[in-house]
Order: sequence, then structure tokens, then C-alpha cells
Amino acid sequence: MSLIWIHEDAITLDHPVMDAAGSHAEPIFIWDTDRHDTLGYSLKRRMFIYECALDLNIPIYANNPYTVLTALSKGRAIYAANSPDPHIKDILSDLNESYDVVIIEAPSLTQVPDDTETGRFFRFWNKAKKTALVHSREQAVHGRDPQETDVKDKLSS
Amino acid sequence: MSNSLGNYANHISTLGHVDRVDFGDRTAILVQVKQFSPGLDTQDTVISPVRGGKCEAQSRLEPLKPEAYGSTRNHLDGAVTGLSPFIRHGVVNSSDVRDRALDVSTPKQAEKFIQQLAWRAYWQQFYRKWPDLIWQDIEPYKTGFEPYDYADDLPEDIAMGETGVACIDQFIAELLETGHIHNHARLYIAAYVCHWRRVKWQAGARWFLAHLLDGDLASNNLSWQWVASTFSHKPYFFNLENVEKFTGETIDTRMKTNGPLAGTYDALYARLFPNLEPRS
Repeated sequence: MSLIWIHEDAITLDHPVMDAAGSHAEPIFIWDTDRHDTLGYSLKRRMFIYECALDLNIPIYANNPYTVLTALSKGRAIYAANSPDPHIKDILSDLNESYDVVIIEAPSLTQVPDDTETGRFFRFWNKAKKTALVHSREQAVHGRDPQETDVKDKLSS
Repeated sequence: MSNSLGNYANHISTLGHVDRVDFGDRTAILVQVKQFSPGLDTQDTVISPVRGGKCEAQSRLEPLKPEAYGSTRNHLDGAVTGLSPFIRHGVVNSSDVRDRALDVSTPKQAEKFIQQLAWRAYWQQFYRKWPDLIWQDIEPYKTGFEPYDYADDLPEDIAMGETGVACIDQFIAELLETGHIHNHARLYIAAYVCHWRRVKWQAGARWFLAHLLDGDLASNNLSWQWVASTFSHKPYFFNLENVEKFTGETIDTRMKTNGPLAGTYDALYARLFPNLEPRS
């Protein structure tokens, strides 16, 4: 039975990470006070995040995420949604030293090559709109499915 | 927090397993959040009327009107969705929001709405590529000033919404009270901070991150840089006439209470950016 870290960039159970981890996997949310303090989050921000987590009706821990995940893993794989946040990446990277970490992408709005020039939005949009304006079910017909991605790529990008 | 609870096994409680409270009991939720946040300023007592959770997100998603959004989105009373805090935290995915838009309208009708969703994807792609740049000036200022010309810290009157510029103070009050303001109001505040008060965009970005329910480092910081001109061709600024055009009657746009914002674009440009060539 795997462990799923529901972090603050994907507070949902409607994510491909749930299917990837399997029906018996255990999702948990970890309240990271130190992170909120570092970013200076106001009470209203913290309240909103907590309500989103509480709504999922899953176990919530208030502690350092690395500490909780290492204590609960007990040899189980740890699944998580991908995130661009270096703080989340660093935790997953540290975990990956000793545990089996699997990072799962959500369906993306656009399919834009990584080497697309990102200096100005409208250059990006000109490429992005080819997929952004197409419904997911039509894209699925052409084989675009969320996939388990290479952990090292996700942690280093 | 179960650090102080006896209902859980020791190895669980020492991990900080949280005793569940009823989602409907906002007072109990607030007590827990405060317990988890001993470092929070005791003066910070405001919670947003916007509640977290999937039902709240769905209630904003279902009435989506992409075509109306496209034609009214710049107006403070336009058909905006209020979905951004939920997208920010992944409660709903932006591709699901796109799909909903395409369920109720054609791609052409939904294009402006989806383009706004794509701004977030754009900022995120940049952030994934260059995470270490997120607090740095990506390009030089194009304002005729150098970074050292800008103040490092946010002045207290701005933080408190007591600048004396009526519409700006109203926008700030809404930010502080709800954690959610219209994108156009964000641009007005950011431009005021960077160009009228000549404060570093980083100070404004930190302040917005503290309060905006949808604040994330990518969208927030890079949007501030777009206004400041360190990630755009030119600085974004506005005049009082523009505020009047896009805000409803609830916003005070009288000249006598908004003096620093009044004037033509050319006159304001000359006043705000005196080291640049006059606008042609």
C-alpha cells in the first residue's frame, strides 16, 4: 500500500496520482507551518489552504513533510503530484535518496515543448493555443495521457 | 493538534496527526489554524469570506460564461470566475476548467478565457526552467531608473491601505479583507507601488503573496516584474480615467481624492519616468 503526499500545489483526490498509486494507497496532507512562516502567509491564506485540505477527509499532519513521510513510509513507495515549487522538489529529492518516489503529472492545459522561448507571453501563446483550445477528450483520442514521469527529470528541472 | 491528544498512538501523535474538526464549523477550523501557526502576528485576525474546498470550486465552475468573460474581464464587475485560488492549490485543474469552458462555448468564444488560463501555464513554465530567478530582476528596468533607485521595503501606509489615494486604498482594503481582488486592481496597485512610489517590485510581491489566496511565486512574482518592466518591454502604468472606465460606482474615482493618478498618459509618463524620452 503506497503513500500519497497531497501537497499544497494539488489539494485534490481527483488527480492521476490517485490511480497511479492504486486503490489501496493512503493519501495524507501535511500542514507545513515553517513554510507558511517563511512565505509570510496571512491567517486568511492559511485558513483557505486548511479548508481545502479538510474537505478531502484524509489524515492531516502538522509537521515537517520530510519527517512525516519518512516516518509513515516504512518501505512503501511515496507518490506525489508534480510541482514546480523548489521546496516541494527538494523534499521529494531528499526522499528519493532512500525511498521509492513516484511523481505524477496532472493533465496540462497546453502541450508546449520545453525549449519554447519563454521571454514573452504571446510567443508562448502562439504555440500553446494549438492544444490549449482543444478539449481533453479530443486530445485523449490522439494519445495524450497523463504519465508517470522520470523522477530525476522532475526533480532536476 | 494531536501532539497534545491522547486519541492516537504515540508514534502518530508525535508526528503531529491532527484531530479532525467538522468542515462546517468555521470557528473550530480557525482555532486549529491558529494553533498550527504560533508564529503568526497576533494582529492578523482576518479570514476571507472565500471558503476552501471542492464544492466551493464547483459552484464557481458551473456558471462559467467564457464569452461574457472575454468581453467584460477587464471591468471590476465583469464576468470573472473567482476560480484562481482553487486552481492555484490544485483543487481544480486548469485543464478541467478549460474543458468546462469548451463544454459551454466554442473555442473562438472561449479563447480569451483560455488565454488567461494560459498565462498561468506560461509563468509556471518559466518558473520550472529558472526557479532561481524568481526573486531576481530578469531584465533591467525600462523606466530610466536603476534598481538602487527603488526602495527595498514596502512603506507602512501602503501595507495598511492608507496612502491617501482613494481608489488605491479601496483596492488594498479589499485585498486585506478578502485575499482576492480583480486582476485589474492588482495591476493598479502594483503600478502605484513600483512607479508612483518607486518601491522594488520584490517588496510588493512579498506583500501580495502574504494575502492573495491564489498567490504563487510564479504568477505573482512574474506579474509584478511585468508591471515593473523587468520582464516586459515597458512599464505598465495607468491614469485615473482608466480606473474610472473599468470600475463601478463603488470605487471612488474623484479627482480631488485621487490627485496623483490624474492626468493624460503623456503627462503621467513624463512625471513618473522623467529620465526617459517623452512619449511620441
